[in-house]
Amino acid sequence: MRTGILMVTLMVWGLLAWGVTDVHEALAVERAEAEETARLLAKLIRAGRLVIDQNQAVIDDVHKGDKGFTPDVFEQQLIEEFRKETTIDLRTLATAPASILIPPLAKELLPAFVLASKEVVRDAQVVINQRGIGYKNFIPATYGSQAARRFTSQSHVRLKQTTLQPRNPKNEPDEYEASVLKWLSGRPNAEAYVSELTERGRTLRVVMPIYYAKDCLKCHGEPKGELDISGYPKEGAHEGDLAGAITVTVPLSAR
Amino acid sequence: MGHDDRDSVLTVSRRDFSAAGVSAPSRALLGVALIGLLLQGCGLVYDALQYVAPVATDELGAICRRQRVQVGMAVEPFRPFVFPAIGTDEGSRVTGLDVELVRHIVDALSRQCGHPVTPVLHLVRFRDLFLHLSEGKLDLFVSAVPSNMPVRAWAGFAYSIPYFQHGGLSGITRRPDVAERIRQRLQPPSEASPGTIADAQVLAGLAVAVQDGTASQHYAAANLKDSRMVLCDSLPAAFESAEASADPAIDVILGTRPVLEYMVTRVKKEWQLLARADGKPLFLTRAQYAVVMSEESYRLRWFVNTVIFRLDESGQLERMRARWLDEPYAFPRRAAVEGLPFDVEKMVSQYSQGACRADRAR
Repeated sequence: MRTGILMVTLMVWGLLAWGVTDVHEALAVERAEAEETARLLAKLIRAGRLVIDQNQAVIDDVHKGDKGFTPDVFEQQLIEEFRKETTIDLRTLATAPASILIPPLAKELLPAFVLASKEVVRDAQVVINQRGIGYKNFIPATYGSQAARRFTSQSHVRLKQTTLQPRNPKNEPDEYEASVLKWLSGRPNAEAYVSELTERGRTLRVVMPIYYAKDCLKCHGEPKGELDISGYPKEGAHEGDLAGAITVTVPLSAR
Repeated sequence: MGHDDRDSVLTVSRRDFSAAGVSAPSRALLGVALIGLLLQGCGLVYDALQYVAPVATDELGAICRRQRVQVGMAVEPFRPFVFPAIGTDEGSRVTGLDVELVRHIVDALSRQCGHPVTPVLHLVRFRDLFLHLSEGKLDLFVSAVPSNMPVRAWAGFAYSIPYFQHGGLSGITRRPDVAERIRQRLQPPSEASPGTIADAQVLAGLAVAVQDGTASQHYAAANLKDSRMVLCDSLPAAFESAEASADPAIDVILGTRPVLEYMVTRVKKEWQLLARADGKPLFLTRAQYAVVMSEESYRLRWFVNTVIFRLDESGQLERMRARWLDEPYAFPRRAAVEGLPFDVEKMVSQYSQGACRADRAR
């Protein structure tokens, strides 16, 4: 009798342990997929910003009307920059097998972000194609803010550009973002990113830093306090300084 | 449906008609309307209807009902009244003194209607603003339009009371020799050269650029008989043409004084305002700028006049003037903070500053 009870107890414990392990594994997989998706989204918005930066001279060309910087041209360049950065070709994403490198969530969200970005470039055509107007304020930051907002409004994942001294109050960091930005600003420029479970594990937040490139310094460099072309005081930044970060917030369903 | 059913339907209809409480005068009106339908093509019937129940336009009520006001603005920049459309974090925006005025009008409309009213900005070519208003696409437009210009009045349009008192025409040049020649011509009378030269004569023999369809063109057509006229599609086109020394050559650009002042002090610093011998700027006219509406938009005109009157009374109009004309600022920042979005589909598909050409009609 005692042996029988012991055996049943052991079986119950075994089943429970197996179940707990299974849940833990599921959570771990979900987190890993969410984290990779967040990283890829952050890299995609960074690639989009780079494309705008590379076309800035064309966009601001005072002598040209139709710049030819159409949503389709932007998309091609975005895909190419993203491929260089990640080796992932968004053109074949739909047929690529799901893996830890390209999670199912990423397969759904990356094209959605490309679409949101194209819509931003489409809506900016009237501004971009003005002839006789030089600086149009269609720059990496304004593209990034608009694309992030448009994507967030159409998805359950939140994308945001943030920095410690934002020019746009809507990009003000929350407490968590501010602490991460302070931590990142004290570290050398690297491919580091911060990934943490927040809200008692209900969401995953990934913060990926953006660093100032040479071209950024025309508006954000020295002399500090002097007004740049758009009327904001320059930050006195140097190449490689932390410019801000892209925050991706992904809700985790399995918790 | 049988015979009885039809009867019952008619009975119900009659009952509903009575229950709706249609009064005898209303029945008379409906009777007239029925006669009107039977006598299609007879304009007298409509006149009769108007006589019995004149149709009062209530464009203010219409704006409240649709919760939107259709506002026209020139797509050509008239800084500081209308700056070029630019991108911001919130999307494409347009800003300027005229945009701030529109914000005040829209705020007042929202209070009047009891719910938010959204401005729908149509950025169209200046010369098309009157056309769009006449076609009913706009409720009003505002683009530094002078209300006291002695030209043939546009039929069917009316102006608000002025929101800007310091307008008028002046000229600029980038050639020091032209500036000097004009100064010489404006020397006070002396024994050697008795009498003063008429302002218009000081531009005699010079190539003067004006923007097509604006006050400067009307002024030039009426007064500058001895100048070579160059018609430009926009002020930026005049600058480009003059700076490129393109044919036709341009000695002087004639335009809206506050706009030219803004340009030579902040954007095109190699240009200078035409000045008198004592160094004071040469003004050719004085003008007031007003909001343009349909002549029959009586209620809207009263409303806009009251808004402008209150802004003036409170000193806000003067603050706006100082804010946009005197203070140092960068317009992209103001566009981001307080600019208005515009209807992308209602903006000209591809704004081009256009070009300049000699006025062959002269």
